[in-house]
Amino acid sequence: MTHQPNNPRYGFLIDASYCIDCRSCMVACSVENNVPMDSTRIWIKETGITGTYPDLKRFTAPFHCMHCKDPSCVSACTVSALTRNDDGIVSYNQDICIGCRYCVYACPFGVPNYQWDEPLPLVIKCDMCFARLGEGQQPACAATCPTGAIQFGRYEDMLAEAHRKINERPDKYVQHIYGEEENGGTATLYISPVPFEELGFPIAGTTSPAYSNRLVTEGTPMVAGAMLVGLTGVYLTIKHLREEAERDRVEAAKEKAAQSAGEEQ
Amino acid sequence: MTMLRKIRHELNTMPKFVYITAALTVFGLSIALYRMFVGLGATTNLSKEFPWGIWISFDLATVALSGGAFTLAALVYVFQFEDLHPATRPTVLAGLLGYSSVMVILLFDLGRWDRFYNVFLHPNVSSALLEVSWCITAYTLILVYELSPVLLQNSRLKWLLPIIKKYTVPIVIAGVTLSTMHQSSLGTMFIIMSPRLHPLWSSMLLPVFFLISSFASGISLVVAGSSVSHWLFGRSLKIKTMAKLSWFIPWILAFYLVIKFGELVIAGEWDLLFSSGNYSLLFWAEIIFGVLIPIGMFAFRQVRFSRTASLIGALFIMGGTVLNRFDVTWFSIASVNGEVYTPHWMEIAILVGVAAGVVTVYSLIARYFPVYEETEPHQLPVEVRPFENSHAAGD
Amino acid sequence: MSIDLSRREFIQLGAATAGALAVGQLLPLMVVQAAQEAGMLNTSGDGTIPSMCEMCVWRCGLLAKVRDGRVVKLDGNPDHPHSRGHLCVRGQSGLFNTYDPDRVLHPLIRVGRRGEGRFRRVSWDEALDYTAERMLEIKQTYGPEAMVFSSTHNLSQVQFENLLYAYGSPNYGTQRSLCFNAMIVANLMTYGIEEPERIYDDQLQYIILTGRNLMEAVSTSETGDLSAAIARGAHVVYLDPRFTKTAAKATEWLPIKPGTDLAFHLALLNVIIGEDLYDHAFVTSYTVGFEQLAQEVAAYTPEWAAAITEIDADRIRRIAREFAAAAPHALAHNGWRTSNFINSFQTQRAITILNALIGNWNVTLRAGGGEASGALGTIPQPAYPRSSAQRLDHVPSRFPVVPLKLGVFQELRDSILSGEPYQAHGWFIARQNPVMSLPDRARTLQAFEKMDFIVTVDILVNDTAWFSDVILPEASYLERYDPLNVVGDRAYLRQPVIEPQGEARSALWIYKQLGERLGLGDYFQYTDEQDYINQQLAPLGVSLEDIRSQGYVDLPPSEAGGFEWNTPSGRIELFSDTLARVGFSGVPVWEPPPEPPQGEFYLLTGKVAQSTQFGTQNNQMLHKYADEPRLWLNEGVAADRGLVDGDWVEVSSEVGVGHIRLLVTPAIRPDCVYLTPGFGHLSRGLTTAFGLGASDSALHVTYTDPVSGSQALSQTFVTVRKV
Repeated sequence: MTHQPNNPRYGFLIDASYCIDCRSCMVACSVENNVPMDSTRIWIKETGITGTYPDLKRFTAPFHCMHCKDPSCVSACTVSALTRNDDGIVSYNQDICIGCRYCVYACPFGVPNYQWDEPLPLVIKCDMCFARLGEGQQPACAATCPTGAIQFGRYEDMLAEAHRKINERPDKYVQHIYGEEENGGTATLYISPVPFEELGFPIAGTTSPAYSNRLVTEGTPMVAGAMLVGLTGVYLTIKHLREEAERDRVEAAKEKAAQSAGEEQ
Repeated sequence: MTMLRKIRHELNTMPKFVYITAALTVFGLSIALYRMFVGLGATTNLSKEFPWGIWISFDLATVALSGGAFTLAALVYVFQFEDLHPATRPTVLAGLLGYSSVMVILLFDLGRWDRFYNVFLHPNVSSALLEVSWCITAYTLILVYELSPVLLQNSRLKWLLPIIKKYTVPIVIAGVTLSTMHQSSLGTMFIIMSPRLHPLWSSMLLPVFFLISSFASGISLVVAGSSVSHWLFGRSLKIKTMAKLSWFIPWILAFYLVIKFGELVIAGEWDLLFSSGNYSLLFWAEIIFGVLIPIGMFAFRQVRFSRTASLIGALFIMGGTVLNRFDVTWFSIASVNGEVYTPHWMEIAILVGVAAGVVTVYSLIARYFPVYEETEPHQLPVEVRPFENSHAAGD
Repeated sequence: MSIDLSRREFIQLGAATAGALAVGQLLPLMVVQAAQEAGMLNTSGDGTIPSMCEMCVWRCGLLAKVRDGRVVKLDGNPDHPHSRGHLCVRGQSGLFNTYDPDRVLHPLIRVGRRGEGRFRRVSWDEALDYTAERMLEIKQTYGPEAMVFSSTHNLSQVQFENLLYAYGSPNYGTQRSLCFNAMIVANLMTYGIEEPERIYDDQLQYIILTGRNLMEAVSTSETGDLSAAIARGAHVVYLDPRFTKTAAKATEWLPIKPGTDLAFHLALLNVIIGEDLYDHAFVTSYTVGFEQLAQEVAAYTPEWAAAITEIDADRIRRIAREFAAAAPHALAHNGWRTSNFINSFQTQRAITILNALIGNWNVTLRAGGGEASGALGTIPQPAYPRSSAQRLDHVPSRFPVVPLKLGVFQELRDSILSGEPYQAHGWFIARQNPVMSLPDRARTLQAFEKMDFIVTVDILVNDTAWFSDVILPEASYLERYDPLNVVGDRAYLRQPVIEPQGEARSALWIYKQLGERLGLGDYFQYTDEQDYINQQLAPLGVSLEDIRSQGYVDLPPSEAGGFEWNTPSGRIELFSDTLARVGFSGVPVWEPPPEPPQGEFYLLTGKVAQSTQFGTQNNQMLHKYADEPRLWLNEGVAADRGLVDGDWVEVSSEVGVGHIRLLVTPAIRPDCVYLTPGFGHLSRGLTTAFGLGASDSALHVTYTDPVSGSQALSQTFVTVRKV
């Protein structure tokens, strides 16, 4: 019931200070994964232009699936179209999906996109380009980023690098690694020169609600069994009591009748 | 020719409102067909921020109200309150139509309705929605089973009736179990979205809250239905029976009140009751109209023995339950970017069509099948005014 | 069969473009066969083929992933120094260019009026015969100079020039005067080379960027280098009237008044010389003209510059000192179009001299390898006929220091219009869109009307093709061979990764075919593209088959750069005698830029990462992710005028009008507006791009710097009003 999700094998380290909003990652992803024209698996979160002229600032960061260790979407998906494999990659089986959109609702990061304008729509979501991983390549976004804002590698290495970078430059980075604990920990990690809320990142708690969800849903068969047994017991007991009461009543009536008959004699 | 004449006769004597509801049904269903062809984007205001809308709220509210079927079935067959028996047929019919309408709306809501069967082929046992789907499907079949005597009683298949009756109790027990599971699982569904729900509603006890309130709203539906059928069809339960049923209401609601407020206190969210602006208003509306007023009303014998007052009290509870389901599924959902969801007129049109369909089918079945056979007839003509002395009809 | 391109349709990508056999192609599946023989594709036609991108001039090396005869993904080639394994946003979208449903895949001859979009599909024979016939007719009737040839620089340029010179016309138009003549001529005058190479190493500490929006005008490797330098803590000063994405990354953004970058740089020179911060040893050993320079800049104090540039005097002074203190690990970046003002030439001179004064030669700047390498073979050809006619772009008559290969394209266009000193009658255009790229589009279209014959080589029916008489379909860069491209110590190969679609052919083939029909076959001594490349490789002792799978060949290493420059003095010329002798200032001199009248704005132009000039707006993938074209207006100014973000406005200059939606933003100076460049296409053959945005070239007034021939696009002033 309380399975411990393993650490992911791979991770992203996305450094918002390097992102120049060129959108190479977005085009590369769309081309690699044949993403439909009306949707995207990766997009840019930004602070907008802040400050007053001429003291202006702007920061951006590419955003895609966080590949949570204990994904809400996987726990929620009615038909197991979303699954997390042993490497920690959360992927989507577009052949099974029934379009209930529970995943869209459940994801605390607002990751799954939906093809609202298609008669037969699908969820659009990053799958870490696992086909490319199989060929020894990095995901399309990380491979192409001209400034190296998107790094990819073993999860432990990405986490260590994130710590190293923010420790080395406390003047440059917010002292927080987004994704280290959010939603119970994710494979996609972010560091940023500005607070993550300013980039539009959702504030997520440190535990995954998938855990609570499982507590209840996996307890259900027990509850069901208990109810079946209990209700049957109640039924039989009440029936027995009523039958007994009925027999008593009949007995009493018989006695009374016999008594009166006896009296009359 | 006689067949045609029969049909003509039926159509002429049909109450006029059935034509209206039938027309609304056709209208709603044609909008639904359009939705199937062009997709959700053009026919709904659903979006990434609000992937679920009024249809889901409707579904949850309908399931809650249809809780009368399992509550009554439990009381009648498991707890063996035999004098409640006359109410079972209309309640089961209402329940069946309610659940059917939920499944129809769900089919319209599914993005890939063409693959709905995957719910059965590829289950995810951790998913609360999976559980809800299976239980609702199974329970709907059970409702069909429970209604079958009504449908088969005067038909060529009436030889099945003894067999059906023989297995009714175990089927009912299964039905009550399934109902308990899905009434609560509808609450469980929102546990995983707890980050998005307002803390006044977000809770690990959501399944319990939903279950308890489904008892209350279910009983209320029986009470209200009885009053309504009294006026529409001239049939209803004995007032004494209804009073026995509504006796449970204050206790159920009081229990609900205790666990609801208790949970808020323990979670340290007591202050939100007054500091959350509109959310506080919604919450208090639920409690005042759906819980406190009904407790106050049904605590009085006079209310329980009055068809009118019972109806009003029941409507309060049902309204409170509907508001609660709408709060959890819609009004309390926060949006990251301040977006607000209001339904597209087509979403509402489809709902109206389905609801009208329920009324139409209910009316037709009640007209041609012995749904009210066991209820008490009303000796006065049907066009009696609602506030006449309700003791006049052989109570 | 007549094709009407005036209908506007949105066609889903992928229809009927499956790389199928084309009618009239001689040998089927040559590309696949060659790739399989080289081991790059397997028997199913799957594999990876190295080639080179052409979405911009950076020409990154790429690896094309091919599946079943279709290219499905492009990745950066780790072995190419411009990509280093990465591809920018345009490079990644390249296959959407190749598979664009609007590709012109068959030769077309116009049937309707020019600009009507009605063409007749013809065979290559007919198109080439007809073109040659018309070109010969013009040559015989008016002389070869009556035929104008223009092409934006690309890898097959050498054969384009071959055609042009063999034909005997002196009239050669390139895009360079619309881009960087000022920069090239300034470098030629100062260093004797067109563009030194910049060295980004771990020690580079200080960079001054004058325009050159590297984070949007992405040159993959250099953008990465700048980003890495910033991350390491290099101090970047960025001059631009707009808060661009580079401004967002720079250490300091200076919202400099347009056209006054010259004053800024002259002030830097003033401080560095005045406070004795320059590298004495370097200046003494390697430069000439220091005294004249010092004399000229003595008056250009930071206080003087502050009033002009609207940048604080203290800031200018501080930057000068910091720049000099970082020497020699400091770089004043030349950029490309500078500030698009007539005085940009002087600005470029100041920038080149700034680098010289701190002695960063061979530290942050060095002589590049150049594009031609002596190690490669050249195709022999007979001597070219001599042309006695004057060039219509008045080079060198009015532009004595502009190299012939650069030219002054806008002058060429204006001479066509004026008919002076003689009327041109024909125009051959390859891989260029002068209808959109030249300033003052209306004038360009008028010049078109003067033409008896216009032929365009292109992959899409771009605006210039739309108005042409003959369209010759070139194969896209993923479908063709081009001559080898030298980068550093390697010559890189562009080879087709899929069979050319339809009847599209490479430029090498087109030029040869045309040349033969013009009677100039002797000048095209290669049988086909592969033979051409083999001739280039011959001196190295390898063949095309040897280098195919690797995608490049190593060249003998070039000598390490020394301290010689290709100037008359052999030194860095702070004072240029060449300039002085023809009547220009030998040292950089202040030229005040024009300012807009009250109520008008400078019309700025710039770069967008998701487009290249005027050629990519039809790419569906770039269209998907690019911002909507807008007119930027400062938010304070908008508020004063009651304008709101999203309003439709009319922007007009003295030569043209455009309608576009407003972007109200703090990211631009109050006296400027910026129009997203490259839009407002006229060709209905561009079904994605047609109707989007407004044309900046329709608004641009033609101004030309008398020294370098460079355009001055931002000297156009505009009014803006709500519609």
